[in-house]
Amino acid sequence: MTASVGDDLTAGPPEQGALAGLRVLDLSGPLGNYCGKLFAELGADVVLVEPPDGTALRHQPPYAGDQPGLESSLPFRYNNTSKRSLRLDLEHPDGQQVFRELAAGADLVIETDSPGRMAARGLGHGRLSRSNPALVTTSITPFGQTGPYADHEASDLVCLAMGGLLYLGGYADGPPVQAGQQQAYAAANLFGAVASMLALTAAETTREGQHVDVSVQESVVMGLENAAQFQDLEGHVRRRTGGRQWRAGAGVFPCADGYVYLLAGGIGGNRFWPNLIAWLDSEEVPRAAELRGDQWGEREFVEAEENRDLFAEVFLPFARQRTKADLYRDAQRWRVPLCPVSRPTDILRSAQLRHRDYFVSVDGPDGLPAVMPGAPYVLSGTPWRLQGRAPRLGEHSVEVLHELGCSAERVAELTRTGVI
Amino acid sequence: MTRLPLEGIRIADFTWVGAGSYTTKMLADHGADVIKIESSAKVDGIRLSPPFKDGVKGVNRSGYFADRNTSKRSITIDLRTAEGRELARRIVADSDVVANNFTPGTMARFGLAYDDVRQLNPRAVYLAMSMSGDSGPERDFLGYGLTIGALVGIHHLSGLPGREPAGTGTNYPDHIPNPCHSAFAVLAALRHARRTGRGQYLDIAQTEPTIAVLGSAFLEATVNGRDAQPLGNGHLRYAPHGVYRCAGEDRWIAVTVTDDRQWPALQAVLGLPADACPAEWAAEAARHRDREALDALIATATADRDVADLFARLQQAGVPAGAVQDAADVVERDPQLQARDHWVRLEHPEMGETLYNAPPFRLTGTPVTLTRPAPLLGQHTAEICRDVLGLEDEEIARLQAAGVLA
Repeated sequence: MTASVGDDLTAGPPEQGALAGLRVLDLSGPLGNYCGKLFAELGADVVLVEPPDGTALRHQPPYAGDQPGLESSLPFRYNNTSKRSLRLDLEHPDGQQVFRELAAGADLVIETDSPGRMAARGLGHGRLSRSNPALVTTSITPFGQTGPYADHEASDLVCLAMGGLLYLGGYADGPPVQAGQQQAYAAANLFGAVASMLALTAAETTREGQHVDVSVQESVVMGLENAAQFQDLEGHVRRRTGGRQWRAGAGVFPCADGYVYLLAGGIGGNRFWPNLIAWLDSEEVPRAAELRGDQWGEREFVEAEENRDLFAEVFLPFARQRTKADLYRDAQRWRVPLCPVSRPTDILRSAQLRHRDYFVSVDGPDGLPAVMPGAPYVLSGTPWRLQGRAPRLGEHSVEVLHELGCSAERVAELTRTGVI
Repeated sequence: MTRLPLEGIRIADFTWVGAGSYTTKMLADHGADVIKIESSAKVDGIRLSPPFKDGVKGVNRSGYFADRNTSKRSITIDLRTAEGRELARRIVADSDVVANNFTPGTMARFGLAYDDVRQLNPRAVYLAMSMSGDSGPERDFLGYGLTIGALVGIHHLSGLPGREPAGTGTNYPDHIPNPCHSAFAVLAALRHARRTGRGQYLDIAQTEPTIAVLGSAFLEATVNGRDAQPLGNGHLRYAPHGVYRCAGEDRWIAVTVTDDRQWPALQAVLGLPADACPAEWAAEAARHRDREALDALIATATADRDVADLFARLQQAGVPAGAVQDAADVVERDPQLQARDHWVRLEHPEMGETLYNAPPFRLTGTPVTLTRPAPLLGQHTAEICRDVLGLEDEEIARLQAAGVLA
């Protein structure tokens, strides 16, 4: 019996979040909102600083009920849980002043404007760190702060293309096809979070902050697997392989109700091939005997078209009679790396994820509950914790300014001039 | 020289293959002393994974392994021996982080379950990265990035509508969602340990972080009652938003218009005939409605263009566009990556001068320059025995002869 996850295995009083006490100002949008969320849900106080018409993700579909509106973007609702919202006009000198005061008491600023924009407002890292030397400013931009492309325009698709991952996606006989759900931006958010924590680690020991410069393009490059090394070591440009077995026993196979992904050999060493044969034998699959032999562990052999075809001739009729759930269960029983190609609704029903209480229900700004992914990790001592739904635009403006020590008069003046 | 953020942190690293090794690489590159505990009898599978230097297979020749293991030291220990397990326990006792990505129960067989480690070293942050997490009906299941990517939905969501899903073409969860979430959680837990003296147990399933970066696909189901579908290269709001063929073999350009002001610029650069472009296409919603016609028009206009020239012209006109770069473009030609020193060439004892990724970010105050290539299998065994375990040369020789350090 192992200890159940989520139990506090250490003695002592209940602990605060691992990032308790950190104050984060999130001025970002699609390139940084998930980064901010990661901080918030481990205990940091994260204020989403939004322009007058709301942060960029508020304008990204899909929308609840397909009705565009400041409070109905689903990506916004997901990526901004556990934050407070301050609506602040950073183009206005008074807004800039308020921001400088906030930054003086912050540990981390996350911003994703074009390089130089923050400095032009008097809000660059150099200026902000004058009154707060320990401040970390993380800038996440498509190509980074320096270099010939620093000022280029980009989108998720463009970053995916320029980082080389787009070329690997799609079908052998067709165009490159993007990874779903904005993975270039996801990568940048994630590396941005790691980079920010590294800089904060240094800042907490030395009291010296720094400017962190994250490139979306480079974050995508980290996902090229071994393609860069194939080019360097073997002079071979890896191409996309979707739509076909890329190695005998490796790829997507249709089954009774969808598809499964099989990686029969595993990675390196062909460790699981004998398990696959044992499984097929146990099911008395015709011609399974033809898949025996050491040659099925040789790269040239399993990459040869005739052997891929042979594998398909044996495996496909067997798979076609079974559901993805059955194949998943049976393959795993035989310790064969096979998984269903799941749709979101399959995943929402997963018994494993239900056991782990993975999905959480969060009320929308309209009061209606919505189920979304919860903790991406289980920390026994300082658990991940949802701190509340994504905020309405400017929901906490007054509260945040009061904490900053703004007088009622100043808040009234900022409101009157439309700064907040 | 500036102190790196993780100097003074030691990691007992039992991870192997993809996600685990990439997690500890990030920590190693930023100053942590990562001791990779390996076995000659059961070699890390990725050491046997292509590509290999000059195409010649060997445990010290894989570029896939090398890029995931920079800045680490390697010791070989046979954990099936009692003496080997004791050496591992001593490394663990002296470490800030203990990391593995085995299926649940494996570390317990080495006497290194979290409960064992906690007794030895209550400050230790214990990172476990099994496929499905350490409890539940699928806890003993196994998978790799590719199969896990299928299980968690990214495979289904990547492809052309109406065709079998294509996925990312990679073990995607291994390279980005899992190592980044894991490294972030470890750094957060190290902060807590620094402040309180208390370690903890991190149970990170290799499924859950990838689901976490697909958040709005799940809200589509739970709020709008729809199963999110792959979009090809499209976008729910922007058009054009696609990949179009250019002149040459398998050359493509990604073109997107994310602001109405970019549309006339695109028309001008591509020379789209005015009579083929209705005036209402000035507005995003109309372009999105007519996106198939728009795509066909653009594809015709790009087919004979040189991708590099078109990319430059579109960018000059302020249109978000990019060449669909292959690995050779990215490694050898991209001036941006070169200007940012993204690629580092390090001298490896067996592979010679070979290519490595620098981190995808610059910590301007504590800059990192990769200096150490991936270790040979067991390269630092004697060194670690001496300076971490305090063993004399004679004792090291005895353990080597007895097959404990193997």
